[in-house]
Amino acid sequence: MITLTHFLVVSACIFCIGLYTVLSKKNAIMILVGIELMINASILNFVAFGKYDKVSYGGQIFALFAIVLAAAAVAVGLALVLNVYRHYKTINPDEINELKDK
Amino acid sequence: MPILSLLIFLPLLATAFILALPTRYKSSYKYIALAFTAVQFVLAGICYVHFDASQPGVQDLGGYQFVEQLSWIRLDLGSIGKLEIDYLVGIDGISMPLLLLSAFVMLMAIGASWNIQKSPKGYFALLMVLNMAVMGIFCALDFFLFYLFYEVMLLPLYFLIGIWGGARREYAAIKFFLYTLFGSVFMLLIIVGLYFSVINPLTGAHTFNMIYMMNPQNYLGDSIFGWDGYQEILGISARLVGFVVLFFAFAIKVPIVPLHTWLPDAHVEAPTPVSIILAGILLKIGGYGIIRICYSIFPDMAALSNWWLGLIGVISIIYGALNALAQKDLKRMIAYSSVSHMGFVLLGIASLTAEGISGAMFQMISHGFLSAALFFLVGVVYDRVHDRNIYSFRGLAQLMPKYTGYVAVAFFASLGLPGFSAFIGEAFVIIGSFNAASVGTGLPRWMALAGSIGILLSAAYLLWTLQRMFFGQIRLKGGEAWANELNDVNSREQLILFPTLALALLLGVMPSLLFNNLNASVLNLVSFIQQFI
Amino acid sequence: MNQLAHISPIYTALLTVAAPFVAFLYQALVGKRDQSGMISLLGIVCSFIFGGLTWLAIWNHPVVSAQLTWFIIGASTFKVGILLNNLSVLMLLLVPTVALPVHIYSRAYMKGDPGIHRYWMYLSLFCFAMLGLVIMDSLLLMYIFWELVGFASYLLIGFWFTRETAVQANKKAFLVNRIGDLGFLIGLAIIFTQFKTLNLVDLFGEAGLIYQSAVTNGQWVSPVNSMDQIWLTIAGLAFFLAAMAKSAQFPLHVWLPDAMEGPTSVSSLIHAATMVAAGVFLLATVFPLFNESALLFIAIIGTITAASAAYFALGQYDIKRILAFSTISQLGFMMVGIGIGTWDAALFHLVTHAFFKCLLFLSAGAIIHEMVHLKVHSQLDFDPQDLRNMGGLRKYMPKTFMLMSIASLALAGFPLTSGYLSKDSIVISAYEWALSKGNFHLLIPVILVIVSILTAFYIGRLIFKAFFGDFRIMDQVRDKLHGAPLHEASKTMLIPMFLLGLCCLFPVFSLNPVSYHDSWLMDGLLLDEYTFAPSHNAHVIIPLLLLIGSVVSWIIGWKWYVQQKYPLNVNSLSLKAAFNQAYINELYQWIFVDGTLKLAQFCYWFDRYVVDSLVAFIQFIVLSLSRLSVWVDKHIVDGFVNAVASVAYWTGNQVRLVQNGKLQTALYSVFLFVLLGLIYLIFF
Repeated sequence: MITLTHFLVVSACIFCIGLYTVLSKKNAIMILVGIELMINASILNFVAFGKYDKVSYGGQIFALFAIVLAAAAVAVGLALVLNVYRHYKTINPDEINELKDK
Repeated sequence: MPILSLLIFLPLLATAFILALPTRYKSSYKYIALAFTAVQFVLAGICYVHFDASQPGVQDLGGYQFVEQLSWIRLDLGSIGKLEIDYLVGIDGISMPLLLLSAFVMLMAIGASWNIQKSPKGYFALLMVLNMAVMGIFCALDFFLFYLFYEVMLLPLYFLIGIWGGARREYAAIKFFLYTLFGSVFMLLIIVGLYFSVINPLTGAHTFNMIYMMNPQNYLGDSIFGWDGYQEILGISARLVGFVVLFFAFAIKVPIVPLHTWLPDAHVEAPTPVSIILAGILLKIGGYGIIRICYSIFPDMAALSNWWLGLIGVISIIYGALNALAQKDLKRMIAYSSVSHMGFVLLGIASLTAEGISGAMFQMISHGFLSAALFFLVGVVYDRVHDRNIYSFRGLAQLMPKYTGYVAVAFFASLGLPGFSAFIGEAFVIIGSFNAASVGTGLPRWMALAGSIGILLSAAYLLWTLQRMFFGQIRLKGGEAWANELNDVNSREQLILFPTLALALLLGVMPSLLFNNLNASVLNLVSFIQQFI
Repeated sequence: MNQLAHISPIYTALLTVAAPFVAFLYQALVGKRDQSGMISLLGIVCSFIFGGLTWLAIWNHPVVSAQLTWFIIGASTFKVGILLNNLSVLMLLLVPTVALPVHIYSRAYMKGDPGIHRYWMYLSLFCFAMLGLVIMDSLLLMYIFWELVGFASYLLIGFWFTRETAVQANKKAFLVNRIGDLGFLIGLAIIFTQFKTLNLVDLFGEAGLIYQSAVTNGQWVSPVNSMDQIWLTIAGLAFFLAAMAKSAQFPLHVWLPDAMEGPTSVSSLIHAATMVAAGVFLLATVFPLFNESALLFIAIIGTITAASAAYFALGQYDIKRILAFSTISQLGFMMVGIGIGTWDAALFHLVTHAFFKCLLFLSAGAIIHEMVHLKVHSQLDFDPQDLRNMGGLRKYMPKTFMLMSIASLALAGFPLTSGYLSKDSIVISAYEWALSKGNFHLLIPVILVIVSILTAFYIGRLIFKAFFGDFRIMDQVRDKLHGAPLHEASKTMLIPMFLLGLCCLFPVFSLNPVSYHDSWLMDGLLLDEYTFAPSHNAHVIIPLLLLIGSVVSWIIGWKWYVQQKYPLNVNSLSLKAAFNQAYINELYQWIFVDGTLKLAQFCYWFDRYVVDSLVAFIQFIVLSLSRLSVWVDKHIVDGFVNAVASVAYWTGNQVRLVQNGKLQTALYSVFLFVLLGLIYLIFF
């Protein structure tokens, strides 16, 4: 039987993968992917813990909100990445160390 | 007339003159120095003539002559009491002859420095400062004043050796300075200890007055050097420690074996006039200090430890003589012979008999003239060819007959030929130390016998040198060039040598010139110490 | 004469001493400008006259002394003064009597020497010192003149100072004498400690301190002090040590043969007649001090000296050296005289010996003088003092031969000479003394008799070799010279020799040629109290024995040396040993001289490498300590401060990395701190 623990372990694994991706990748898009993974891990937790709220399904509802917000954030993020690429000809966050115009 | 103050501070005036005169008058410095020293010598002569030989001196302030006393430093130190330092000078039978000797040897030294070329201003100024310090030492009766002069004396000597000396002058100067300082630093501790132990009976304040320090009644009972207390330092009686430390401070100056190694180096490296002063005056300060300070302030310990002092004296006599026998450098040989001859002084002092101590005093005076003359004679040949090695010369008698005559007289005088002063000194040291066992001073008779071997050895090294350097066929290391350089003594040199050797002869024939002035003081000293045997 | 006799003997004695001193001063001041020696001669003539007057006034008259305070040391007063008794005036007369002929002789002998002004100066100094020595009334003053005599002798031995051997010899003489001086000094110290005075009158005068002291319970007690009785013996031996050195007694005799390096006239005066006798004079002066053991020791040493020196004399070829050893041997006789208690006999022999030995030396000097002339003229290289180069001189120098023969007979103790009287007095007294003492002591007179015969033999050998036979180097010099190779000595030399020759005969000393007891000299010294009984047989047998022995030895000598029937092997061990003085000099050189020098070298080594190294070691320690403290200061004290700073720096540097403006680093650190927070929450 699949218990809550299994969900949490999967969720933690996904979170860790996401965290690792965010910290180590030299590509902004991959970092966005990592953020998406971390959000999804947390959504998975919402859903998993939702079993304790069988009256109003708060967990599932929050998960839906979170997915929507994540989609919006990714959209904004990708837009930023596109603009950054256009400006700096790179999307490596290490090399983007100047905010002012050249 | 404050004759002693004049004696002490006249050279300071000379220093001021010399320093004030611009360098373009540099040829006049020696005349200034000579004039002031000559005046000093006359003053010392006046002291000698007006000296009252019946006054005992030693531990009795009334028995001192030409005394001058001024309050110098008076400081209220609150709970510790009042600081009382006097300018107190005076002479008795023990210091007066040494004063005269110093003035005479200074005159000789100025004569010997006639040809100094290297910065004469500094040289003569330092010489005059030294002159002042030496006179001060022999006159001072306040321990603080004494110490002051004692330290002041070191400074000019250090520079005189270190600047005007020979090849290894820096080494010799530092060695000399450190050796003496080593002794005097510990002396300062004892001075402070004495200061806190002794009370001026008139004012009740602590005092540096040496005469008060000689009276057991003036000591506080529970003080560190108190007579009735059983104060100990490191488990040894405090008074013994005080005596030993003071003894070593002066014994370094004498010098005793094994604290003598500064002497050959200092003598060899020093310029001739400084050697003359070193041998003629400085070594005597050691002997004088032992009599005036060690023996008079710690008479009980003097009586206790005279066996050791005698032993040190005997070792110095024989060891110094043997070392002199092994030397190839003429000046070094004479330096070691000084060690040997000053050993007689120590042996005589240790005998604690009137004959022995008088003999020691006589030996000091005689050695003052003779060693000065000997160093001067070495200087004569060194000036000409800049070599002192005994084996570089042979048959000098044919080249320099007058010089050989002077050398022979000086050599025979210092090996104790009767008729010269050294004989009286050495003979009475031997007689006195032999007599010591009968008086009960605990000096065994074999020391007198062993000391007399030194007389034999001194004949050996002096005659051997005479034979090697002066007799035989002429053979010089420098060949013809040297033969041309080696002129006989000139009139300036004769003017210095002749009075010196004549004085040695005069004292040898008429020892009463000295003994008359010594007797009262020596007898007083002997009876003062005899109470503690 | 009567007028002069009124002058106090004190003043005449003082004038006797002062005259040579004035001559010395004059010669010292004038230096080279006066080479004639007239003043010195005049001085000694004055000495002779005043010495004679003093002797007339004092001899067999009461003792005279005078004193002045010299100096006071502590509580003891030392006085300078003179003491005129029979002993001192005898010497006061003897010295100028011998010195006067020597002065006259020297005028010819030393003529032309470039340093002759020094010669006169030294000679006058010596006469002054010697005369001073004999009249001084205090041991301290005697010591002073004692050393001055040695000093004058040093100067005269090294008179030709460019000769290496001469300066070696004078150094040796002075040093050996110095050993004796130490003995004198120690003796002085003992006497002064014991009696608190050094005055001869107080000590040895009638009822002097020495007679008031005695040995009781192992303590030597005097009126003012007491000490262990061993010191009495030591005092005696100390004075004897002084006499041993001055009078060349075995084993301190080694300086005298070498002292022959000096001019012969000097040898005759100083090293034969006067100075070497000073030891005997000293012992006679302090005679009451000696106890039994000291006296026996003196007698034994005297015998050994007499025997060994006679033996060494047999092997010598140098004419002066033979005479030197003969002097030593005769001095040994005098010491025996002292040792057996008959110091009057010793003094008697001293006086007679002074004359005949002086004459022997002067004659030898005359020969050497001629031989040197020959050497210079012929330009040959030979030793002018070697007996092997002489022979047959009697033909060329008959007067010298005659005078020297008289002196030789006196030396051998032949009847009718002065030597017969004085030598017999010693030998006979020694025999009587030995009889009273017992068996073992008989060895001493027996040895003395043998030595006397040996003496006759070696002096005979000298005379035979020098004066008889043929002149040995005639073949070499014949073609280089016209006429005789050698000539008689000049009159200036012969007259003083002749005067001395007269003094070698018996009438000068005693009208009875066979008995020494009738001699005025022995009477004057007034020593009646011999400790032993006289033996009448001895007075007959011993002189007869000596006479027969001497004659037999001369017959043998005649056969061996004149008739060339020499039976001995020159290279035999015993002759070689005699020639080399039994290698004593080599032994001394090896033990004492080299030993002392080695010791001196060691001491210097010790001084440089141990005592001075100790100083250097202390210096090293102090410097090392200071270096250590510099290191500690630099690396530990300062290092701590630096460590704090560098830790702060390092930490700051590490933390600074977080702030590199990179997004991921920031995230990373955020994560890290969250993680740390988590860990903290979980575990604490």
